[in-house]
Amino acid sequence: MNTNNQMESYLATLRLQLAPLTLSEREEIVMEIVAHVRDSAEQSGASVEAVLTRLGPAEALASQYRDGLLIRRASRSFSPIVLLRATMRLATRSVAWIFVFFLGVFGYSFGAGFVIIAFAKMIVPSHAGAWVQNGRMIGFGAFEYGMPSSAHEVLGLWIIPLGLTAGSLTLLLTTFLIRNSLRVSRLAQSRL
Amino acid sequence: MSKSTLNDQDPAQPDRWEAQLRKGAVEMAALASLWQRRLYGLEIIRYLETHSQLALAEGTIYPVLNRLKVEGLLTSEWVEAEAGHPRKYYSLTEAGRERLRVMAEAWTSFANGLSRLLEPVLNEKEKVQ
Repeated sequence: MNTNNQMESYLATLRLQLAPLTLSEREEIVMEIVAHVRDSAEQSGASVEAVLTRLGPAEALASQYRDGLLIRRASRSFSPIVLLRATMRLATRSVAWIFVFFLGVFGYSFGAGFVIIAFAKMIVPSHAGAWVQNGRMIGFGAFEYGMPSSAHEVLGLWIIPLGLTAGSLTLLLTTFLIRNSLRVSRLAQSRL
Repeated sequence: MSKSTLNDQDPAQPDRWEAQLRKGAVEMAALASLWQRRLYGLEIIRYLETHSQLALAEGTIYPVLNRLKVEGLLTSEWVEAEAGHPRKYYSLTEAGRERLRVMAEAWTSFANGLSRLLEPVLNEKEKVQ
């Protein structure tokens, strides 16, 4: 490959990998990298190839830009997908984030579960509820098959407001927890 | 955040620990390089090489500068150069100056404290030699 092709393919990869950024952010980064390669090659007398090698792979460079963006966006977002994605990426770096990730998955599933039970009670009332047999709770939730006839359902329609409240509280708490962790990590990043 | 990196290595090979240490200092170093005047990316890299032993992988500095700019600690402007292409110059904002002052104080008191702690270690080394 000649020098121009090498440069073009490096920049093409960089643009592709920076796709989550806005067009103007992306082009500004590309312009800065182009200026760097030219200046560095001219000032040190090194080849473009050598300068690109010193810069490191375009993928790695782009991923450093994307990290900052991901955390920044996620700490403002309320979407479980955006929040979990950011957490998952950070979990590859540190144990504390693996913990936050699992707590997030757990919290979202539990919250969603409560809400689903409340809706199941509205749609198929006989299959959702809290069943007690001989003084022990043997089932809480929505079940495909009925419970043994000796068990009786204790909550009745109360499970609807209960499920909705517990569900939204769990979802809110999980969101708050992840956003807060991301904030703290952003501060730590910028203050180091 | 990266406690685990300290454990999975040969104690006589502090390379990774040193790398972490340098990485932690990059932002402060980048801010410090701009204390007197505006510089563009490559100048910052060269400045850090000559004024400290902080030799960075060249790709490291640009995402860091980008982040510092988003945080409002730096501003940037494109300046047309004789080289025939524009260069992106960075300068400290007032918030950046203030942050750097705070960092410099914290860093210095931290380093002084640790130096006292390490004195016996280094003295012993001299005696052995």
